[in-house]
Amino acid sequence: MLLILIGSFALFTYLQPDIFLNPVNLQNIMIASPEIGVIAVAMMVAMLTGGIDLSTVAVANLSAITITTLYSSLMASDPARAAQMMPFIVLLGLVVGLAGGLFNGFLISYVGIAPILATLGSMQIFNGLAIVWTGGKTLYGAPEELAAVGKAGVLGMPTTFIALLVIAGLVAIFLNKTSLGRKTQLLGTNPVAARYSGINSRQVLMSTYMLTGLLGGCAGVLFLARNPTSSADYGSSYVLLVIVIAVLGGTNPAGGFATVTGVVLATLTLQTVASGFNAIRLSAYEYSIAQGAILILVMILDQASTKRKLNKGLNKANWFKKKARK
Amino acid sequence: MAKAYRALPVLEVKNIVKTYGGVKALDEVSMALTAGNVHCLAGENGCGKSTLIKIISGVEQPDSGSIYIDGKLQEKLSPFSSIMAGIQVIYQDFSLFPNLSVAENITITSQVAIRAKLFSASKAKIAAATIIKELGLTLDLSAKVEALSVADKQLTAICRALINDARVIVMDEPTTALTHTEVDYLFDVVRKLRERGVALVFVSHKLEESLQVSQDVTILRNGKHIISGIASEFDRKSLTQYITGRDVSEAREITSPVMTAKPLMEVSHLCSSGAFNDVSFTLHSGEILGITGLLGSGRTEIAEALFGVRPAESGTIEIDGQAIRVRTIRDAIKAGIGYLPEDRLTQGLFLDKSVGDNIIAGSLDKHRSAFGLLDGEGISKTTQSMFDRLKIKAKSVSAPVRSLSGGNAQRVVLGKLLANQPKVLILNGPTVGVDIGSKEQILEILRNEANLGRGVIVISDDSLELVSVCNRVLVVRQGEIVDTLTGSQITATNIQEMTTA
Repeated sequence: MLLILIGSFALFTYLQPDIFLNPVNLQNIMIASPEIGVIAVAMMVAMLTGGIDLSTVAVANLSAITITTLYSSLMASDPARAAQMMPFIVLLGLVVGLAGGLFNGFLISYVGIAPILATLGSMQIFNGLAIVWTGGKTLYGAPEELAAVGKAGVLGMPTTFIALLVIAGLVAIFLNKTSLGRKTQLLGTNPVAARYSGINSRQVLMSTYMLTGLLGGCAGVLFLARNPTSSADYGSSYVLLVIVIAVLGGTNPAGGFATVTGVVLATLTLQTVASGFNAIRLSAYEYSIAQGAILILVMILDQASTKRKLNKGLNKANWFKKKARK
Repeated sequence: MAKAYRALPVLEVKNIVKTYGGVKALDEVSMALTAGNVHCLAGENGCGKSTLIKIISGVEQPDSGSIYIDGKLQEKLSPFSSIMAGIQVIYQDFSLFPNLSVAENITITSQVAIRAKLFSASKAKIAAATIIKELGLTLDLSAKVEALSVADKQLTAICRALINDARVIVMDEPTTALTHTEVDYLFDVVRKLRERGVALVFVSHKLEESLQVSQDVTILRNGKHIISGIASEFDRKSLTQYITGRDVSEAREITSPVMTAKPLMEVSHLCSSGAFNDVSFTLHSGEILGITGLLGSGRTEIAEALFGVRPAESGTIEIDGQAIRVRTIRDAIKAGIGYLPEDRLTQGLFLDKSVGDNIIAGSLDKHRSAFGLLDGEGISKTTQSMFDRLKIKAKSVSAPVRSLSGGNAQRVVLGKLLANQPKVLILNGPTVGVDIGSKEQILEILRNEANLGRGVIVISDDSLELVSVCNRVLVVRQGEIVDTLTGSQITATNIQEMTTA
C-alpha cells in the first residue's frame, strides 16, 4: 500500500509538479483526508468482525447537526455561555454517535439482524431524522472555534490530520493491545471457534458497533472543523468510498484481517489520486473510474499474491513434515 | 472368474515419482487395482496417499512413471479422461450439492458429462431409482442432500459414482464419520460393488476396518512405497509397524487417580429432553474417564451440556464440592472446564491465525496488565511454553494453523484449553483424523495432564484408544449411561459389544 501511495505521489509529481507539489495542494490532501479516514477506519473495524457499518456517514451528519443546532440556538440567546459550553456540545455530538452505535449494536448482537441490513435500516433512519430535523436545509452557525482549530496546524500539518493520526493510533492500540480488540479479530476469523473459546460475541459486537458509532461522531466533529456548516446529505458519496478504502487498505471483507495503517495509507492514496487528477485537469468522473480501477487492480494483485503465498506455505509445510520425520 | 480379472489390472500405476518444490511426495510408487477387489491404501498423514489419488484421478501429473488403464499406457491422464475411463473418487466431503435432491445429485454429473442441454427431473429420478434398487439401498430420492445423515450422503456419492459407470472407486476416509452399524452397512454395499466387478481403493486410518474389507494392501511412508501384498498376510500389528516404521504399543497404560472421598467433579441426574436422561457420574483428580457410545447416543450432547453449549434442563454439576451453574460456555470455563470440540476445524481453530494467536484465544482476559492492555510478555511466555510442552511441530508460534497437520492442529486446540488451567478437561474425539504416531503422543499428553491432577473425560468411539488410556469407561446408549467398565473389563471387544448391544 505504501508503495502504491508513493507511486501515485511520484506519478502526479512527475506529471504536474507545479500544481501538485504546491503546498496548498498538499495542505488540501491533508485537510480532505481526516473525515474520510476516520469513517474508513470505522468501516474497517466493522469489517474486521465480518460485518459492515453503512450508517457511519449518517451518524456523522447527525452528530454534526446536533452540535450545530445546539450551539447556534445557545449562541442566539447567550453568546458567552455558548462559547463556554462548546466543549460539552462537541462531547454531546460524540454521544450522539455512540448512541447510534448502541442502536446498531443492539440490532446486530441481541436481535441478530445481519449487519448489512441492520445498518442499512439505521442509515435510513438517521438520514431521515437529519432531513426532517433540518428540513433538508444546510445549517450554519457551527462553533467557529472548531473551524478555527481545524484551520490551525502544527508544523504545517492541519489539526484535523493530527486528529486522524491520533484516532487511528488509538484504534490500532485497541485492536492489538487489548483483550477486547483481539477478541474482535478472532470473532471475525471464526465465530464458532470464538464461541467455543469462551468469547462473548454479543459483548464484542456491541462494543464494535459502539466504536464505529463513536468514530462516526468523531467524523461529524471533523466535518465541522473543516467546514462550519452541516446538512443531512453531506458526504453521501463517502458510504461506498470508505468500503473501497477499507478493502484497499488490506481489510478482508470476510472478517479477521485488517490493519489501521493500511486503511490510513489507502485513504491518503485515494486522496492523492483525487487531487492529482485535479492537478492534471481530469474530472471527478474520470477520478471515479480511477477509483474503481485501483480497487480492482489491487484485488487482482492480492489474489495473485495469496495464491503464491498459499503454494509457498504448503511447500514449506511439506518440507517441515519431511524434516520432522527424519 | 476372479482369476481372469487378476491377470489384467483395471488400473495400474508403476514407479510414480512426484515432487513438489524439491520435496518428493511420491518416490517410485506402484500399485495395481484388480476388478472386484478392495485395495487398502494406508499410511500416516502426509505420506503421499492424497498425491497418489490425485494422480490416479488426473488432477496431478506425475514427474515420471506410467499409468495403465486396462493394460493401455496413458500418455497424459486428465481429470476428464480419468472420469471417462471410469475412475471416480469419493472425497471426505463427498462434493455433493446440498441444495439439490438425492436424485439430482446422483444424476447431475453424468448429465453434465454427456453435455445434456436440458435436465429432466423425472428421468433423473428413474435413473437414480434404478441404481439405488440395484444396490438394495433405501434412500429418499426427493430429500434434499443437506438434510441427510453423513452415511446417506456417502451412499448418494457412491450411487453417483456408479451411474457414471465407475470401474474404479476411490474412497477417502469413508468410515470416519460413520457409526458401527453404518460402517457394517457400508461394507455390505462394498461387497455388492465387488460383485459388480468394481475395483475399490480404501483409504482409512482405521486399520481393523481396512483389513476386514480389503483383499490387497499398499503401504506408503514418507512418499516411499513400503510394501504391497495380500490383506490376509497382514495383521494390525504388522500394518502399524509398516506404517509408522516403528512399534506402537497398544497396551494399557493408565494413570493412578487420587481416589479421595471428594471427587473432583460430580454430575447428578443431568437431563436434557431428547438428548439424554438422568446422567450421573463422578470424576476424580488424575483420572481419565472414557465416555463411549454410538454417534447419536447422546455422548456429545452430555459433553456439550457440561460445557454450556447446550445446557442441561435439570440436574446438578459440582466441582470440588461446589455446585456450579452452567448456562453458557463462559460459565463452564469460569468453573474450570475445558472442552475440545468434536470438529476442530470449525469449532476449535482460527485457521488463518497463527499458532500463538490460537493458543492465547481462550485466555486473553487472564493476560492483562496496567490500563487493561494486554501483557505481551506474558502472552509470548504462555504461547511458547504451550508450544514446547505439547511439542507442536511448526516453524514457530507465528506459523498459521492452516499449515499444520491434523495432529499438530489438535495440539494447538489443546494448548488453547490448557492455557486456561482447567480442572476438568473434556475431549470429544481427541484423535479423530490424526495419524497413528501423533495419536500416541496426544494420548501421552492426556496422561501427563491427568498426572498433574486434572480430571480428564475422553469421549470416543475408538475402543483401542479408550483401552489405552481410560481408568473407567461409561457406556452411553440412547441417552442413558447403561454401564460402567472398570479395570480388566475395559477391553476393545467389551466396549464394542456394549455400545452396539
